[in-house]
Amino acid sequence: MSAEQFFAELRRIYPADRLLTGRAQLAPYESDGLTSFRARPSGVVLPETQQEVIDTVKICHKYEVPFLARGSGTSLSGGSVPIEDGLVIALNRLKRIIRYDAEQRVAVVEPGVINTAVSERAAVDRLYYAPDPSSGPVCTIGGNVAFNSGGAHCLKYGMTSNHVLGMKVVLPDGTVEQLGSDSLEGSGPDLTGMFIGSEGLFGVALEITLRLLPKPEKYYTLQAAYDSLEKAGTAVAMVVASGLLPGAMEIMDRLSMDAADAAIGAGYPKDAKAVLIVELEGTSDEVEAEKPRLHKVIEESGAYIIEAARDDEHRLKIWKGRKSAFSAVGRLSPDFIVQDGVVPRTKLGHALKEIDKLSEQYGIRVANVFHAGDGNLHPLVMFDGRQPGGLEHAEELAGEIIRLCIRLGGSITGEHGVGLEKRAYIGEMYGEDDIEFMQQLRRSVDPLELANRGKKLPSAEAPALTSVGAHPLEKQGIISRE
Amino acid sequence: MITPETFDELQQAVRSVDRVRVRGGGTKNVLSADATISTEKLSGILEYEPSEYTFTALAGTPLKDIAAALAENGQFLPFDPPLVEAGATLGGTVACGLSGPGRFRYGGLRDFFLGVRMVTGDGRVVFGGGKVVKNAAGFDIPKLVVGSLGRFGVLGELTFKVFPAPATWTTIRAEFPDFKSANAAMIRVAMSQEEVYCLDVEPTGAVSIRIGGLGDAQAVRTDRVRSLLDGAQVEISTGEAEQQLWNDIREFRWVPNGHSLIRLPLNPGQVETAEKLLAPQAGPRRYSVGGNLAWIAWSDSAAADSLLTACRELGRKPLPLIGNWSGGVPSAEAGGAFETRLLDIFDPQRKGDLVPS
Amino acid sequence: MQHDIPTQSFGPLGEPMADAIQKCVHCGFCLPVCPTYQVHGEEMDSPRGRIFLMKEVLEGNVELDEATPYIDKCLGCVGCITACPSGVGYGELITAFRATSEEKRERSVVDKTLRKFILETLPYPGRFRLAATAGRLAKPLKGVMPGRLGDMLDLLPKSLPPAQKLPEVFPAEGERRARVALLAGCAQQVLAPDINMATLRVLAKNGVEVVIPKSQSCCGALAAHTGAASQAKQFAKQNIKAFPPNVDAILTNAAGCGSGMHEYALWLRGEPEESAAAEFVKRVCDVSVFLEKLGLRETPSLSAPTKVAYHDACHLAHAQKVRSQPRALLRTIGNLDLVEIPSGDICCGSAGTYNIEQPETAGQLGHQKAQNIASVEPDAVATGNIGCMTQIETHLREVAFGKPIPVLHTMQILDRAYRGEAL
Ligand SMILES: Cc1cc2nc3c(=O)[nH]c(=O)nc-3n(C[C@H](O)[C@H](O)[C@H](O)COP(=O)(O)OP(=O)(O)OC[C@H]3O[C@@H](n4cnc5c(N)ncnc54)[C@H](O)[C@@H]3O)c2cc1C
Ligand code: SF4
Ligand code: SF4
Repeated sequence: MSAEQFFAELRRIYPADRLLTGRAQLAPYESDGLTSFRARPSGVVLPETQQEVIDTVKICHKYEVPFLARGSGTSLSGGSVPIEDGLVIALNRLKRIIRYDAEQRVAVVEPGVINTAVSERAAVDRLYYAPDPSSGPVCTIGGNVAFNSGGAHCLKYGMTSNHVLGMKVVLPDGTVEQLGSDSLEGSGPDLTGMFIGSEGLFGVALEITLRLLPKPEKYYTLQAAYDSLEKAGTAVAMVVASGLLPGAMEIMDRLSMDAADAAIGAGYPKDAKAVLIVELEGTSDEVEAEKPRLHKVIEESGAYIIEAARDDEHRLKIWKGRKSAFSAVGRLSPDFIVQDGVVPRTKLGHALKEIDKLSEQYGIRVANVFHAGDGNLHPLVMFDGRQPGGLEHAEELAGEIIRLCIRLGGSITGEHGVGLEKRAYIGEMYGEDDIEFMQQLRRSVDPLELANRGKKLPSAEAPALTSVGAHPLEKQGIISRE
Repeated sequence: MITPETFDELQQAVRSVDRVRVRGGGTKNVLSADATISTEKLSGILEYEPSEYTFTALAGTPLKDIAAALAENGQFLPFDPPLVEAGATLGGTVACGLSGPGRFRYGGLRDFFLGVRMVTGDGRVVFGGGKVVKNAAGFDIPKLVVGSLGRFGVLGELTFKVFPAPATWTTIRAEFPDFKSANAAMIRVAMSQEEVYCLDVEPTGAVSIRIGGLGDAQAVRTDRVRSLLDGAQVEISTGEAEQQLWNDIREFRWVPNGHSLIRLPLNPGQVETAEKLLAPQAGPRRYSVGGNLAWIAWSDSAAADSLLTACRELGRKPLPLIGNWSGGVPSAEAGGAFETRLLDIFDPQRKGDLVPS
Repeated sequence: MQHDIPTQSFGPLGEPMADAIQKCVHCGFCLPVCPTYQVHGEEMDSPRGRIFLMKEVLEGNVELDEATPYIDKCLGCVGCITACPSGVGYGELITAFRATSEEKRERSVVDKTLRKFILETLPYPGRFRLAATAGRLAKPLKGVMPGRLGDMLDLLPKSLPPAQKLPEVFPAEGERRARVALLAGCAQQVLAPDINMATLRVLAKNGVEVVIPKSQSCCGALAAHTGAASQAKQFAKQNIKAFPPNVDAILTNAAGCGSGMHEYALWLRGEPEESAAAEFVKRVCDVSVFLEKLGLRETPSLSAPTKVAYHDACHLAHAQKVRSQPRALLRTIGNLDLVEIPSGDICCGSAGTYNIEQPETAGQLGHQKAQNIASVEPDAVATGNIGCMTQIETHLREVAFGKPIPVLHTMQILDRAYRGEAL
């Protein structure tokens, strides 16, 4: 069985304009939100129906061709980098909201539906889809499912897996299955939960049943400036200890404020070393009652400017500043690595100090934006890729930050997933046996390792990354970096 | 029955038996009859850091102990587990996937369960998930074992996320003239922005709504909820009496003697149909979690088959928990390809024995 | 993103191109706002994909010919610039890329002819008028014309308004508050001369004297955006010379021209006129911006209550960041209820010669836009660009919806209000 036969079968499903094989057609699919990894697929297909996806997976299985399901390619861990010579199944045209039921508070969507499109659809009924990754206007529900994505507002309502009730999936051999249902409560093992966050290794999600929540009636957003990062970190612990449960708590450091200022003129206090954003949400009476308590805590935490959002527009502006910080760092540095580690909340202050030390030691600037409420750090490690060794040096520092998170009892990733980038560290977080066990699970579901081969788990055909020097995958010619 | 006292002993126990069925507190007798392993001695909170909102405890820890420890720090289990006073354990509650009426507000057990150390059916110790509130590494094994009824192995050590408990509670009980209008009111409240914790309907037409939060706001919030309940006779309770009300519901004190207790997931759109199907033969029942879950008392003298037929018609699998149920455990039936392939690794010999004979 | 572009080898345009590519972090925020991505749902038809493709071409990894179909599909609506958090200068990149690649590209004979025809006709009102009249006569022949020429015919109005000779100076009414110069525009003069007349009357009404330099030429945007760099440069140089220094501002009333003139410094990079161009650019602004800042002397009113939907022309909203000013002006008009168009950020598909070069995509976008407009049931549509006006008019006609909805320039609406007319 040859590649020609494989493509001949694909051509039976896809007209020429939906089966891409030209150099210029494939190039834009070579990488994702993390441009340091690239790999060229042998083809890209653009299915328009679920059946086409199923048939495509079956053909891949028949010819043993590895495949990658792709959403909007915003993965920050190399998760949607193609498999060299594999097939990319681009799901962007599967973007129908199949069912929307306000009374039952559910929506059933295809995987290519954009995250924020769900809330837009539900807005008429004052409902919304809670997980709000910063990439919301771009990323797809399918990608969210694969990565169990979360956002600033995950503290209270959780991440993607807490909002997916059921799914129709196609397993890597073409078997189609319904997992879960449209009820908040399940019966039998929670297979939906197991599929979510598997980074595409268990197959492709075709139809996803989402839980919708009533939109909080009122938001109260407060921005507090501190003269040290540590104080901001302590403030978070104080809010938690006070018994308040804010919808979001976020911290930005000086560098990320500078970036956001440059991008959208966010207007942060010039001399602040950190700003903390705390947002209360809920029924207006509850929020009113919580307000004075929050102010008291923040005042006691040593904030020197406390600014509450005057109106909706101001609130959106505050969030826009926070949410644009990532990409805005592109204005401060030609290249940067976005890290995504988790530490126990109580160790936040300590972690930040250590990162500071590392930054000095390496002579590399590190901007910090993070979901402080759940201890999820996003250090942005800046470098100039044109300088020889620049990337390697930055990667080394990024690696040290991740090890720090593991040492402090946290996780190597809070929401961006393992992808290609973090596979070296997963073995440090879990024991050898645990990793071996996960490998076995994967092979049991997908013996040929076709679905997103080489991601998430260190495996024989694609060894773990090291953080120093040339990439082992590069040496083997499996991936390339610019 | 083996009663291991350490994790190692648990592992040995699993290896030594050829049929694994676990008993925690024994509160769900239908599922733990003929158990071969007891987690009674695997009890205790290992770590609890209130400012982290997390704790780790052994599987045999009674929920009562956990609730007490949390309450000392003003925190609680937001998924509102049932049978706390009866002596349910953490592990048993996870294996059955049980959440109570209060899960309507923030989420169910699955949403608060972060990490697990367990012994698989073939006697391996496996760690899944993490100990921090957010973690995207590895496969989400904790989710997988929720509601698994022990088929993947024996849970040993569990990490949970918790929340600060509301300072005060108020319950609004509204009696509607009929079930239909009660059901409509339930949907109205569910779609509203009132953020209620519990939302239950009874066949008599009673809707019970629980709100929680700061004392200052309770009165106004109660009025707002009331405004959604036009046409009903409304009764408000607070304080001890209010607590007792929900305790009785969660402990199933409303299930009469000579009845089994069955749990049945639904969606809100099915509630009226479910009621029609059940009314002729079922004992007392509650539609809980805004119509997403039914708790049904089923008389020993009624045919189990007619309940099973009703469930099939609804496309749902019932889970019997307590009583002299004779209809088997449909939730324990073999699953599809995905589940089977996972099970091949967790428990290749299928030692996890689920359906009591 | 990192790149290996031999910047030097692309002359003065190498640097701005490399700079834009460097700044792109591949985050994808530009995807949802890009009209071609919305229509095609494939990476090559997205801004991020195009940037990547241009990089590959500039690095020599991908053949230009392979990439051009996708580069060509770009409307140049620069919606992506507004959406980009990283400050990627997409407009500069695409203009520079088109300029540097034009000489290397191989076009088919039909393509060449069409392009030549466009570049030698549209920028010259006289020639355009002739061609348009001829085209109108050719309408019955549409069936036998090659596809794209046929599509172009569709956009021509049934009859052309009479030619209007513009005066060299149009005096202010009452006390003079300002003195400005006006770019007359090319196609606009032929298709809708009333826009210029309305602009002159509204400015006069507000005490503004307008000079219309005789020696001015086409703004050059059309040439620049189709890669005809030398023609664009010529136009720019000519205009820099033609417009007098002693006016308060140089006004444009077609969004495309305005954004084109704002690019003069880029076009003339490395030329002796570069710094003069930079100065010139500072004085150019859209008529709505100027008027809003000056403040209306008296607030006009329409004779009947009218619901007006404002359409953001890409080259005003995205390229010149002019959104609030025309709205503010319209809101001051009595009897006028201003409404927003859903998904108003998305291009209508007109974009210069796009209609002619990518008729399919242009058609889909136009149709979408018309449906979105119809959904808010306006009595009229206001906008600030002649291209959008013809495109929207054409597609509104297809979206069956009872009464016809006139599409007018913001200045035309002000003008009618000043005269106490209805729309
Ligand atoms: C600026 C920026 C900000 C971000 N902020 C956040 C944030 O706040 N929180 C957060 O969690 N993430 C964030 N991310 C990361 C990223 O947006 C998320 O991981 C997102 O879920 C990826 O969605 P996507 O559609 O782009 O998926 P892709 O990148 O295309 O794919 C991601 C993975 O999902 C798999 N996949 C896609 N569709 C399916 C499917 N249908 N079935 C199975 N597998 C599938 C792919 O194979 C791949 O492994 C951010 C990224 C950027 C660029
Ligand atoms: S200019 Fe418009 S069409 Fe071109 S890439 Fe940007 S958004 Fe898309
Ligand atoms: S939004 Fe800007 S930085 Fe992001 S991919 Fe598009 S052009 Fe690049």
